[in-house]
Amino acid sequence: MKLILKSFLTLFFAITTIFFALRLTPGDPVERLLGPEAKVEEIQKYRSELGLDKSIVDQYYDFAKGIVSFDLGNSFFKKDSVVNLIQANLAPTVVLALISILLSAPIGIFIGVISAVKKSQLPDTLIRLISLTFLSFPIFSLAPLLVLIFSIWLGIFPVSQWLSLKHMVIPIVTLVLPLSSVIIRVMRNKYLEEESQLWVLVLNAKGLSNFAIIYRLIKICLPTILNVVAIQLSVVLAGTVITETIFDIPGLGSLLFEAINNRDYPLVQGIIAYSTVIYMLVYVIVDYANEKLDPRIGQ
Amino acid sequence: MRKINKEMVFGGVILSLYIIWAVIWMSTHGSNYSPTSIISNELFKPLTDGYVLGTDINGRSLFEVLSVGLVYTVGISLLISSSACLIGILIGYLSAIRIKFVSEIMDMLTNLIFIFPSILLAILVMSFSGQSYTGLVLCLIFTSWPGYARIARGETMRVLNLGYVESARAIGVGEFRLFYKSILPSIVPVISIHFVLGISGVIISEASLGFLGLGASEYSWGAILSMAKLVLLEAPHVVIVTSLLMTGLIISLNLFSDGLRDYLDPKLKG
Repeated sequence: MKLILKSFLTLFFAITTIFFALRLTPGDPVERLLGPEAKVEEIQKYRSELGLDKSIVDQYYDFAKGIVSFDLGNSFFKKDSVVNLIQANLAPTVVLALISILLSAPIGIFIGVISAVKKSQLPDTLIRLISLTFLSFPIFSLAPLLVLIFSIWLGIFPVSQWLSLKHMVIPIVTLVLPLSSVIIRVMRNKYLEEESQLWVLVLNAKGLSNFAIIYRLIKICLPTILNVVAIQLSVVLAGTVITETIFDIPGLGSLLFEAINNRDYPLVQGIIAYSTVIYMLVYVIVDYANEKLDPRIGQ
Repeated sequence: MRKINKEMVFGGVILSLYIIWAVIWMSTHGSNYSPTSIISNELFKPLTDGYVLGTDINGRSLFEVLSVGLVYTVGISLLISSSACLIGILIGYLSAIRIKFVSEIMDMLTNLIFIFPSILLAILVMSFSGQSYTGLVLCLIFTSWPGYARIARGETMRVLNLGYVESARAIGVGEFRLFYKSILPSIVPVISIHFVLGISGVIISEASLGFLGLGASEYSWGAILSMAKLVLLEAPHVVIVTSLLMTGLIISLNLFSDGLRDYLDPKLKG
């Protein structure tokens, strides 16, 4: 209950901050819309049409009223409502983020465990080196390299856009490589930390097979991994902005980037509100799942 | 027993190569040098006509462009990280010694900043403030101080309960002296690990903005990459060289901070 209240408070702060940040920073959407040669009367007419001639407090009141009734207004530039635009662009981003996370988590856990089990041996050293390398690759420097290798030199995958399954491969790999590297490292360290606990020794003495012990160790590490994924979600979503811009994917990230550049107030506010709600949901779900996975957390 | 480890040496060596490069460039060319652009020299391959790394889309020597970018990146990330670090230590400390309103505000701001991807905030600020240097610096400081503040708070809380701080307080050591002599020395090691990581974070953020065309300098490595992406077919060398240099810098910082952590706190060794 307290968590839900806190989420709403954060949501309120995020939206309000964006609202005022947008209006108090220089740049006028109407001037963008009509170009530099627009007449003063034209600008005036447009401003009142879009409701920008009202005082900032009145605008905020209108905006808040809209939020409560799930009406986020219309985009200034595209002749469509914000809700429609978001729905039209939601799918690629969600697919991109979801598939990346769903792929990274098992890969990260699996390789992380291998690395921990083979601690200080060759596989571990290699895994640590490789995961550190991919961890260090910024998305915008990894993406062109992957395009160069797989699209241009080898010609296996298309360069950009979002039309078929084949188009998805490079963008997803771009996101999966760094994300799974983070998970590998966390998994490895957490596993080693848990491995030295007494109960592992007891299970060993009891004659449980190695496999069964590893299974139990993974189970104990899951809440940590879940938390890392939740924290990384904001990184992934920010990553999708860059990935979508690079690969020309019509998703929420590129929509947001375009909207910010156009100073399309309602659209920016709408996307931010939307993604904040998604964060909130994920945090609540992760909290709940963690309690289920590890009863100690709830107490 | 503290032992200098492989990560630290390896990361440190690569890192110092970059720093030496930046320092030599600074001392020979100054900070206002801009590479000359010769349009007819467009997109030379590396090692042609005396251009070690070839030329970029504007016919400038890629080596010179990257050098100017490196100096800019190192300068801006040091400036941002050290300011964020100082602010973070101060706020973390104040909130740890239970100045109530500071810790309340810190909690609120950190939650907000953590939940809101810093790069989005930076995109927002940069696209409105018109790609200014000050805007970039302030914005990245704003998004990076909470990390430092959290660590400073945690460390201060831990140290405050230790015997020697209590003893110091008992013999009447003043607040400022207590902070300077007893608390700061214990915060510094942990903060310094985060500082190195923080620099690599700032470099990535700055370059991401540059890549999206929102950076404060056309020589930002991100900006160079976004330009290079357009000529991927004709001149792959620009992308390859810039990408690898960028990643090398980040790897060396990550390695160094990894090693530093093991060195300063062997208990945490993973």
